[in-house]
Amino acid sequence: MNLPNWTREPLVHFAVMGAVLYVALTWGGTPPDPSSRVISVGAAEEEKIAESWTLTMGRSPTDAELDQAIDAFVREEVLYREALRLGFDEGDAIVRRRLVSKMDLSASLAAETADPTEEVLRAFLAENPELYADEASVNASVSFDQLLFSSEAEAHAALSRGAQRGEATSLPGSVTESIMRDVEARFGLQFAQGLRDLEPGLDWQGPLASGFGWHLVRLTSREVPEPNFETLQVSIANDWRSAQIKERKERAYETLRSAYRIDIDR
Amino acid sequence: MRKAWAAIACASILAIGVSACSDGESETSAEQAGDGTDTIELAEFPDRPYWGDTHLHTDNSVDAFGFGTRLGPEEALRFARGEEVTATTGAPTQLSRPLDFLVIADHSDALGATRRLYDAPRWYVNWVIGDETVLRWYDMMHESPEQSTRAIGELISAAAEDRVPEAMADPESAAEATKDIWNTQLSILDRYNEPGVFTALAGYEWTAMPNGNNLHRVVMFRDGSDKTRQTVPFPGLQTTAPQLWEYMKGYEEETGGRVLAIPHNPNLSNGLMFQMTMEDGSPMTPEYAALRAWAEPVIEATQIKGDSETHPYLSPNDEMASFGEKGWDFGNLSLSEKTDPSMYAGSYARSALLRGLTLEQQMGVNPYAFGMIGSTDSHTSLATGDEDNFWGKHTGNEQSYTERAMQGQNLGTREGRFGWHYLAGGYAAAWAKGNTRAEIFDAFARREVYATTGPRMTVRVFGGFGFTAADWDGNWVREGYTRGVPMGGELEDQGDAPSFLISAMKDPDGANLDRVQVIKGWLDASGVMQEQVYDVVWSDMDTRGRSGGRVAPVGDTVNRDDATYTNDIGAAELRTTWTDPDYRQGQRAFYYVRVLEIPTPRWTLFDAVRFGVTLSEEAMADAVAQERAYTSPIWLKTQS
Repeated sequence: MNLPNWTREPLVHFAVMGAVLYVALTWGGTPPDPSSRVISVGAAEEEKIAESWTLTMGRSPTDAELDQAIDAFVREEVLYREALRLGFDEGDAIVRRRLVSKMDLSASLAAETADPTEEVLRAFLAENPELYADEASVNASVSFDQLLFSSEAEAHAALSRGAQRGEATSLPGSVTESIMRDVEARFGLQFAQGLRDLEPGLDWQGPLASGFGWHLVRLTSREVPEPNFETLQVSIANDWRSAQIKERKERAYETLRSAYRIDIDR
Repeated sequence: MRKAWAAIACASILAIGVSACSDGESETSAEQAGDGTDTIELAEFPDRPYWGDTHLHTDNSVDAFGFGTRLGPEEALRFARGEEVTATTGAPTQLSRPLDFLVIADHSDALGATRRLYDAPRWYVNWVIGDETVLRWYDMMHESPEQSTRAIGELISAAAEDRVPEAMADPESAAEATKDIWNTQLSILDRYNEPGVFTALAGYEWTAMPNGNNLHRVVMFRDGSDKTRQTVPFPGLQTTAPQLWEYMKGYEEETGGRVLAIPHNPNLSNGLMFQMTMEDGSPMTPEYAALRAWAEPVIEATQIKGDSETHPYLSPNDEMASFGEKGWDFGNLSLSEKTDPSMYAGSYARSALLRGLTLEQQMGVNPYAFGMIGSTDSHTSLATGDEDNFWGKHTGNEQSYTERAMQGQNLGTREGRFGWHYLAGGYAAAWAKGNTRAEIFDAFARREVYATTGPRMTVRVFGGFGFTAADWDGNWVREGYTRGVPMGGELEDQGDAPSFLISAMKDPDGANLDRVQVIKGWLDASGVMQEQVYDVVWSDMDTRGRSGGRVAPVGDTVNRDDATYTNDIGAAELRTTWTDPDYRQGQRAFYYVRVLEIPTPRWTLFDAVRFGVTLSEEAMADAVAQERAYTSPIWLKTQS
C-alpha cells in the first residue's frame, strides 16, 4: 500500500490523533468527566465499541461478544476512573515512560519506511560532509611491500642495510590495490594508522608497529577516491534515515513544547 | 482467537500511524537487493577471513523485547558495520573494529509479538485475546524491567514445555502476522547490504525445544529479497527438524535460491542434537542422514551460552576441554531436566563428528559432517564478541547493570546459572573470495569457515598428501588449494599419511598465541571411536619442552587488579607442516585445528575492575581464560 507523503508526517499524525481524541471525548455532546460516577453506554457507545471490535477482528461481533466487550469496557472504565481519582497516573514513572515512548515511536516510525529522492540525499551530503570525511580514507586503495621483524632494532638495522629480507611470516609480502578496510582487517588497526601517515614512494619506510612486530614498508601507490555521490548513496540514504528519525522526534517535541511556558529557577 | 496476533499487529500499527502498513517494497539498487553475483571483483583464492555474527536478535525477537531491548534491525546493522549507536540502557557504544557480515536471526515464533503485545491497548489484550496468562504477561511487561524479564522467562519455560497459550502458538496466524515484519526486515537488510563492504544476510532462528531441550537452528539465506520475500520464517513450536529441512528444500525448489541451517547450543540439548537414531528413536535411515547433511553443513560451536566443542567427561585427556562449560553442563536450556553424563555424547561437536564416522560406516552417509563457527546469540541488537566490550546476553544484563556478573541469570524463575557463566560470545570467520552474500554463504556451504570465541586470529589449514616444510617458501596458499583441500574439505585415503599446512596468526589487535593443536577423531580397527589431541606447534618451542607428553603451560601475564595482560609470552604467528604419525590405512578420520591464545581477562574481570564489583571465589577463578579458534575439520574418507 503506497500512501502520499503527507500521511507519513508525524505532525499530521498528531493532528489526526488529536482530532480523534477530541471526537471521542465529545461524543454525545457531554465530555466524560473522570470524576463523574456515571458511565452510560447508549446506542452511540455501543456502536463505537462494535466498530472498534470490527476494526481489529475483521468482522462484526456477535451479540454475546458485544455484551462481553461492553462489560469489559465498563470494567476498564470504572478502574481507569478510580485510578485517576487516586492519582495513580501522576508521579508514576512507568506511566510517564510509557506515554513518552509512545509519542517518540509515533514520530520515528514514519521515517523508517520513507524513501528519499536523490535531491534530498545530495542536499544531505552537502550539509554533512564531515560524515563522509573518513569514507575516502577507508576506501583508499593501496599497493605496498612489507618486511616483518620481531624487534624495532632489527627493523632499523635492516633498513640501513637496504631492507633485503624480513622474517618468515604468513602475512603477504606484497599487497596490490587493496582497500584500506582489508588492510586494517589483515594487519590490524595500529599498522593501518601508521600506513595512513606515510607518503607513497619507492623507498623503504618505517618501521611501523603492529601486533605482529615491526614492518618496513614500501608504499608504492595510494589512490584516494574522490568523494562521489553515487558510491556513497547507500550510506547517505541510511544516514539520512537515521537523522530523520532523530529529527522528527525532536521536531515533534519542539512543536509540542512551543505551546508551553517553561520556568526554570537556576 | 486464531487471528488475534494478526489483529494485534494491525491494531497497534493503526494506532501508531498508517505509514507502517506499507509492504516495505524495496527501493534499493539491484546490486544491493540481489545475492551479489557479478557485483565486485573476486580474488582468485579466498584471501582473507571475513568476520561476522550469524546469530543476532533484535527487538523483533519475542524474548529480546521482553527483556527490554528497544533497538531494532536498523540499529543492529549500523552497529555491526562499525557505527556508534546508543544501547537500550542509554550509553553510546561501538565495535572497536567493524564486522564484515551479519545475519539477523530473530525467533520465528511470534516474530515481533511481544513488541506488538506491549504496544497493544490493555483492553484489547483483556477482551479480544481473552487469555489470562497472556494478560498477566502483558501486565508484568508494563510493570518493571524485572517483571518483564520474569514474564519472558515464563514464556520460554512455557514454550519449552509446549504449553504456550493458543493465542501465541498458532502457526497460521503467526505467519500472517509476521509476514509484514519479515518483509520490512528484508528491505532494511537490502539497504545495508553493500557488496564488497558489508554483507547483510536474511535469516531467522527456528526455536524448537521439546521439553526444554535445545534443538535450535539459525536459518540463513543466500538470496536477496526478490527470493526471500517468497517465503516466511518457519515456526519452531510444534514442528520438527525434518519438517524444517523439507521447508528449506521447498524454498530452494520454488525460488531457485539457497538456504542452510546452523544448529546451536547442542550443549543444552541433553543429548538430543546429535543422536545415533532418528528423533523418534528408530534406526537412522540414509535418507534422513543425507537430508541433514545437506541442510546443516555448519554448526555454531561457541556462543554466549557456553561452548560446545567438547566436555572433560568426553575428552578426559584433553586438558583444554573445560572452556565455557561451567553453568551450562548440568541441565537443559530451561533447566526443566538435569543432564546425565550419558547424554553428553549427543551434545558436543567432537563426539558428534565421531558419531558421524560410525553412522557413515553403517549407512554410507555421514549426517554429522559439519564445519564449525562461533556467534554471539546476543539479544541486545549489539553483535559484541570482545571481552572488553560485553553488552550482555540481553538488555537485562547490559553494562548499566553493574552487578550482572554475580546475579542469577535463570530467566527469573529458576536457580543455578549466574552472569559470570556467560561467555562474551564468539564470531564466525569465512574464507571467501569477496564480501558478498553469495561468497559468504558459499564459504559456509563448503565449510570453509571457523569458529572463534571472539578474537580475530587468522587460521589457515590445507590437507593433502606430501606437503613439506619447503612449501612455506613458495606461494603456499596456491599450493594448498591446488595440491590439497582447505578446511571443510575431504581427502580420499590412498595409502599414505595425510599432511597438513597449518598457519595461525594472532588477532593483530589482540593477544599472542600459546599453541596450535590438531584434534584427530577416528574409528579404530574394531570400529570404536577414538580421539587424540596433538600439540603441533607452540611458542618458544626450544625452551618450552614437553613433559609427560604435555607441553608446559605458556604462563599467565594477567594482572587481576587492573584487568591487563602483556604479550611478553606467546607468539605472533605459529605455523607448521604436520603429518599424522598414527595413520593406518583404511581408517575413517577427521582432523581439525584448535588455536589457543595466551591467558587474557574475561569480561567478568573487566566488570570487576570497572565497576568495583567483587567476584565470588569461583567466578574469580574463571575470570581469566585462554580464548581459542576451532576450524572446520578435513575428513579422510575411505576409498569408495
